[in-house]
Amino acid sequence: MSGGVQLENANPVIFQRSVERLLTASEEDEDVHDPIDDREIFDLIRSINDPEHPLSLEELNVLEQVRVKVNDAESTVSVEFTPTIPHCSMATLIGLSIKVKLLRSLPDRFKIDVRITPGTHASEDAVNKQLADKERVAAALENSSLLEVVNQCLSTRRI
Amino acid sequence: MKAALTLVQRFGAHPDSRCWFVTWSPNGTLLASCGGDRAIRIWGREDSWVCKTVLQDGHQRTVRKVAWSPCGNYLASASFDATTCIWKKKDDDFEFQSLTVLEGHENEVKCVAWAPSGNLLATCSRDKSVWVWEDEEEEYECVTVVNSHTQDVKHIAWHPNQELLASASYDNNICIYKEEDDDWECRATLQGHTSTVWSLCFDAAGQRMASCSDDRTVKIWKEFPSESWKCVCTLSGYHGRTVYDVACRLTGFLATACGDDAVRVFKEEVPANPDELVFSLAAQETRAHSQDVNCVSWNPKEAGLLASCSDNGEIAIW
Amino acid sequence: MAAVSPLLLSLVEEFVSGLQDSKAKEAAKGVKDGQFTMLQLVEALGVSLTSSQPHTRARGVQLLSEVLQENYAELTEREVEVLTAFYENRLKDHYVVTPSVLRGLQELTKCTTLPPGSAVSMLRSVFQDVHVQSLMLAERACIYNMLINLMETREAELKGLGADFVFGFVQSMDGERDPRNLLLAFQIAKNIVLQGYNLGKFTEELFEVTSCYYPIDFTPPPNDPHGITKEELILGLRAVLTGTPKFAEFLLPLLIEKLDSDVQSAKLDSLQTLAACMSQYESKDLAEFLEGLWASLRREVFQTSSEKMESAALAALAALTSCLSRSVLSSDSEDTLSTFLDLILRDCKHHLSEPDLKLVWPSAKLLQASCSASNRASYVITAAIMPSLIKQFNSRTQCSHRRTLLEVVQRFIQSVNTSQSSDIDESVFSEYRAALCSMVFSALSESNSSLQITAASVLNSLAQQTGLLLDSDIQLAVDHLTRLLLAEEDERVSSAVVDCAGALAEQHPAAFITKLIPRLKEELFSDTESFELRYHPAVHRRCLAALAAVSIQPSVVQESSPVLLDVLSSAHSDEGPSGPCSPLTKEEVLSAMVPVISTACSRLQPTLAGQTVLRVVSLFLDGDVSFLPDNAFPSHIQLLKQQQGMKASWSQSQLVCLLMACVCSLPRNVEVPQMERLLSQLEELSCSCSHLLSYSSAAKCFAGLINKRPQGESLDSSIQRTMQRVCSELDCPSSPVRTQVFTLMIWVAKALLLRYHPLFSILTDKLFSLLGDPDLGPMAAASFSLLMSDTEDILNRRCHANMRIMYRQRFFSENSAKLVQGFNAAPQEKKPNYLKALSNIITKLPKQVQVSELPALLSLLLEALTCPDQGVQLSTLSCLEPVLLNPPPVLIQQLEALISRLLALVCSPAMKIRITSIRCIHALSQFPVHEVLPFRARVLRALAQPLDDRKRLVRREAVQARGEWFLLGSPVGR
Repeated sequence: MSGGVQLENANPVIFQRSVERLLTASEEDEDVHDPIDDREIFDLIRSINDPEHPLSLEELNVLEQVRVKVNDAESTVSVEFTPTIPHCSMATLIGLSIKVKLLRSLPDRFKIDVRITPGTHASEDAVNKQLADKERVAAALENSSLLEVVNQCLSTRRI
Repeated sequence: MKAALTLVQRFGAHPDSRCWFVTWSPNGTLLASCGGDRAIRIWGREDSWVCKTVLQDGHQRTVRKVAWSPCGNYLASASFDATTCIWKKKDDDFEFQSLTVLEGHENEVKCVAWAPSGNLLATCSRDKSVWVWEDEEEEYECVTVVNSHTQDVKHIAWHPNQELLASASYDNNICIYKEEDDDWECRATLQGHTSTVWSLCFDAAGQRMASCSDDRTVKIWKEFPSESWKCVCTLSGYHGRTVYDVACRLTGFLATACGDDAVRVFKEEVPANPDELVFSLAAQETRAHSQDVNCVSWNPKEAGLLASCSDNGEIAIW
Repeated sequence: MAAVSPLLLSLVEEFVSGLQDSKAKEAAKGVKDGQFTMLQLVEALGVSLTSSQPHTRARGVQLLSEVLQENYAELTEREVEVLTAFYENRLKDHYVVTPSVLRGLQELTKCTTLPPGSAVSMLRSVFQDVHVQSLMLAERACIYNMLINLMETREAELKGLGADFVFGFVQSMDGERDPRNLLLAFQIAKNIVLQGYNLGKFTEELFEVTSCYYPIDFTPPPNDPHGITKEELILGLRAVLTGTPKFAEFLLPLLIEKLDSDVQSAKLDSLQTLAACMSQYESKDLAEFLEGLWASLRREVFQTSSEKMESAALAALAALTSCLSRSVLSSDSEDTLSTFLDLILRDCKHHLSEPDLKLVWPSAKLLQASCSASNRASYVITAAIMPSLIKQFNSRTQCSHRRTLLEVVQRFIQSVNTSQSSDIDESVFSEYRAALCSMVFSALSESNSSLQITAASVLNSLAQQTGLLLDSDIQLAVDHLTRLLLAEEDERVSSAVVDCAGALAEQHPAAFITKLIPRLKEELFSDTESFELRYHPAVHRRCLAALAAVSIQPSVVQESSPVLLDVLSSAHSDEGPSGPCSPLTKEEVLSAMVPVISTACSRLQPTLAGQTVLRVVSLFLDGDVSFLPDNAFPSHIQLLKQQQGMKASWSQSQLVCLLMACVCSLPRNVEVPQMERLLSQLEELSCSCSHLLSYSSAAKCFAGLINKRPQGESLDSSIQRTMQRVCSELDCPSSPVRTQVFTLMIWVAKALLLRYHPLFSILTDKLFSLLGDPDLGPMAAASFSLLMSDTEDILNRRCHANMRIMYRQRFFSENSAKLVQGFNAAPQEKKPNYLKALSNIITKLPKQVQVSELPALLSLLLEALTCPDQGVQLSTLSCLEPVLLNPPPVLIQQLEALISRLLALVCSPAMKIRITSIRCIHALSQFPVHEVLPFRARVLRALAQPLDDRKRLVRREAVQARGEWFLLGSPVGR
């Protein structure tokens, strides 16, 4: 956000990044199957950039590991995210970024649900419904300027 | 008793993208599919099902739905690029050529449908409107724009033997339209689903209509005198995720396409009480596809032949 | 006139009219040989120089200049004067003549005999008659080179021109576009500002004409033969802009402007430029810009976009503070340093005490950067913040908060460390010593391991502050460290404690001698009766590690080495079948002791070292145990001899690894006694023993000695003798000791390679021939890795090995061709060995060498990717990976083959291959977009499968790679 545009939440509280996942011996063992677990899903999305701040969703506490659930056997993933303020207009975009990141990063057998943490946003239902509608998500990703913003959030380089 | 469906053939149709929709030609010999790769493919049966032709370059974005004209000589395609394309079949072989492009919707066109008479065409869009077009010797003119929904219109379907149109929407409702003084207007709004209504279809006689929804249910609606439609049956508890499509067959069979990767077929039971309507699960294929099933379509001539398609770009014939 | 020789006339004629360029060389040679003089040449040129045709005149001057180029050094002052006058006059001539005139003038500026006044007149003519920027590139370069030459030799004269010189230069370079010429112009400008030329009223002009290139934005064209880099230009310009405080009023606003821009490279350049100019500036130059500079620097740290930017900003802040600290305080002037520090404290201090500590790091880093700048700054800052940090630490209960505060404190201590000069004996932290110690000790007593680790490293930093800690503090610290060493199981904690002990012992040896070493000894030799009960390998290992770490000061080594020797000697107590089992029969104990002994021996003082080696060698060779206290060993002990028939003979022979640790680590000037005998016994042991640790340690010990042995006849003959034995065993396929002699050979090869010994090539040839050996082939291929890598225990710098730099490159350049030939000639089933050898070599080459050598080997490497041997696949992948980060053009031409082969490996059965191949594919996403975009769909499809890999590590790589490939073609992708 450059010159003049007011940030909605100019001074967000910044939370500490969690430490990198520690490597276990079994992870290095060829013969052990590592199931996909909550932490792994969280690691996929925690470093997504916030569309407004030069901070990650984890640092803004938008994403927390306790709100990430995966069932590897049944191929379901559910993520709840918490907008920084109840009227955050970026909520849909943040949700979309999370969804796209998961779509790109998970095997296609997974059913992915991304929702707002209950009670943390004024238009919670509307946002949830949009995020669940795959037709709208597909159409949104064919919109090149929107795709660009999403890609920016998913970019590993911080600009 | 839940029998399984017998797979006739499975084939990749839209590589690296999803297949959104499949539909049989009126004579049942051809199958049209469309998808996220912006292409329409026409499939015909030889020893197995093979791609006869690919219609490309008509659309800039995803082709969401296609519809055959009742005569089988025209094809209409609705796309996220906000246009509807009319294609004409060439006399002999399987070649199609783009005839005209209908523009007017503000954004994604979600569905297109020909009226049984063949001279009316309806389209709907995320812009909340339903447009009715008149075909006069390959000239298409918009006759009405109706704005009865408050959200995204997902699907439209014509009544099989009346000039009656139904639409399903993201606002959870279904609207029924009729012509009045050269103008189409909404005559009834059907409430009952608790989330997006993804699709609907009339049965052959036109007395009943089935709708499916993100609320994971299928509802059967029946017409009562004075143009009122009421829900007479709700199929709940069968579907694990969003039901994306429902298709009716002549003899009281209903097929559904679901986000839980399954295709299910329901059969109408002879009810004890004639006022009641009972459907039972006749067959289901829980892993019909490896991803969401987006559409099911009964072959109009060959009884029991069903096509389905999925997010993984595949089509399956059952 | 008559003196002009016909030869000269004909040369002139053929050059000028005949256009034969080679005649210039002949004429130059004529002058050089004394056949004719420069002035005669001028006479001979007479007609051409006065011709009405400009082209004839140009050709004439060209001949003169070319001859001059070869002969300027021999000219007399008189000749130079005449020629100078001639050339100056010619500057007014037709423009086709000008290039040669300038070339001639440039040659004249090199003359040592240039008469006084010529330089000035030459420049006046040039500035007056030549419009530099309408000349061609090469002629402009002539002018710059003239200036550079003259500035070097005629500085005083040029300064006599006053500001006119600067003005002339400014006009000359105004509008220069060529990077080569810009480098020259920047050099001139730098000389002007640094050598104190009078800028007069042209200060701003000189700034303008150079600063208009700031920030440098230059990308060399592909295949640029001149090799000018953006970096050179940046540094050239930076030297000009930062060269004089006179530019401050123009430069600082410019830098602030660029810092506020969105262009990352401009920001970075500005921060570096800012830091650079601080060495020239005084506080008065900065005063009015301090607010603006602080705002910009603060922003770069608080909202940092990258670590690079952050550290540049911090460095600039430190330089700025240090510049302000240099100003001499006078009563009437404002104290700019304290004003500036007040600004920093105003914006940062409160973040250190906010309850959630959310902006603690950026604030702390800013404060630390300024703290490190000067003694005065560190006093002001520590006084302002230390009390509050200490108070907070004591009042907080959450471990993570306490750790963060400790880390902040440590950074402050370290930042002061770097700035303190030796003449200040009182530490800045003296006032807080007691509080800091109690912080550290309380943290060391916590059960939280990360808090303990942090505390150990804070303690380390405190100990580095000269004169800060009191003896009583050290005593207490040693108690804490000892306790943790013996009791703490967490390896991270114990390794932090060992590090800390090492550092403390260097500064404060006494407490370690009196407390730690006796305690460790007690632990190592605790009651032998119940040895089995008390023996904990982990505690043992920690004790030995600590012992090695603290053995830095001679006084400590004196105490620690007897302990180590005792440990060694206790090994011999297992003589006899019924004796208790010594820990020294355990391989892991031995392996732990090797680095301990090695560290201790490598630091021994010469006399102590001499004694040690004498004893150790006689112990091993002769079984002389007399120096060991209280020994009860039989005198026939023969450690290097295999006892025939004894089942457990290797329990003694393996002790040779301790011999190795000792004799191979000694400084090179320590003479090893009985060398020949020792070598021959080691050779015997390594070639005949079947116990792995024994024969490999003997081989290594042999190699370590060979490596340090002085050049000469005896060295050569012992190598040749050994080689004969090695080769005869190797050539006999039925020999039972081929593996052993091969091990010896490869270690000797390594020892010789390191010191560039000429006999090395014999060993290489043997090694190459073994690649085709049915049994030893794979081992030979693997051994290239050993040759090319640094070894832990011997033959490294710590052990004072005889090592030449770049031995790897040398090995590679001498042998890569042999390898390729061998590969091509080898039968199919032997090829994997060659590929494996190749990848072992390449993996260990420095990256730049890899990148430059790879093109030649690329087809071989692509071949190696399809080789079914997983080891070859893996090593090829790992050497491709770094190259892909900076791909040479040939690689891009082979993209199709490369991508197909890499994609085929992402589902390999071996996890490491899957991981590395995916990493390579990841690296490909950074190739030029138009080259890789056609593969996008294919790669995304292929990477979908490893997203569901059974191993998490593979999935993680696949996710990252696929994410980048998705971004391909999107502007943020780059």
